[in-house]
Amino acid sequence: MTPEFLLGLGILIIGVIAAAFPDPKTYLNRLINLEISGFGLLLVMLSYNETLALLTFIAVTAITTFVLVRVLERRAIN
Amino acid sequence: MIVESICAIVALYASIRILAEKNTLRKLPFLNVLNFAITGLIALILPHPMGIAAAAAYFVGSTLESNAIASTFAKQSEVADD
Amino acid sequence: MTDILLMVFAAIAILGAAATAIQKNPYDKLISLGMLFAGVIPFVVAGGYLDVAISLALIVPITTIILLQAVWRCRL
Repeated sequence: MTPEFLLGLGILIIGVIAAAFPDPKTYLNRLINLEISGFGLLLVMLSYNETLALLTFIAVTAITTFVLVRVLERRAIN
Repeated sequence: MIVESICAIVALYASIRILAEKNTLRKLPFLNVLNFAITGLIALILPHPMGIAAAAAYFVGSTLESNAIASTFAKQSEVADD
Repeated sequence: MTDILLMVFAAIAILGAAATAIQKNPYDKLISLGMLFAGVIPFVVAGGYLDVAISLALIVPITTIILLQAVWRCRL
C-alpha cells in the first residue's frame, strides 16, 4: 500500500463517477472527465514497477484522445 | 529545506487562488505560477542529472499548455464580440 | 521526498480532480486538468521514472491542445 496507490484509487473513483454522470450532459464534458481517470490509472500503475507498461499507457491515452476528438468533430458538424 | 518549503507554499497558494477565482482569464497567471513552483520542486527533490532534463521538459510543456488555453480563449471571445 | 511535501502534492492532485469534475465551463475544466497534472508528475519523478516523466511532460500538453481543438469546434 504505497501512497501513490491510494491517491490513484481516489482520483480513479472521482474520474469514473464524473465520466459516468457529467453535469452538462455533452460528449465534450465526458471526454474531458475521462482524462481524470486516465491520470488515476497512471498513479495506480506507478506502484507496480513496470516502466514499459507506463510508457505504452501514456502513448495509447494520447492516441485514443486524438481518435475520439476526430469522431466528436464529425458528429458535431452533422 | 527552506527552498523546498518556499516552493511548496507558493504552489499551495497558487492552487487555492486557482480554485477561488471566478473569472477564467484571472486563473491563467496562477496556473503559470503553480507550474513554475512544481518545476522548481522537480529539480529539487531528486539529485540526479536527468532530473534537470525532466524539469526543463515539464517547464516547456506546461508553458505551452497554458499559453494554448489563453490563445484559444482570446480567439473565442474575439469571435463572440463580432 | 519528505512527508509534508508528499501531502502537498496529494492535496493539489485531489483538489484538481474534484475541480475538474465540478466545473461547467470547458476552459475552466482544462485549467483544472493542468492543475491535476501538476499534482501527479512529482510522484512519477520521486519514484525514479525520469524517462516516463519526460515523455509525460511532452505528451500531456499535446493532448490538451487536441482537446482545445475539440472545444473550439464544439462551441455554440
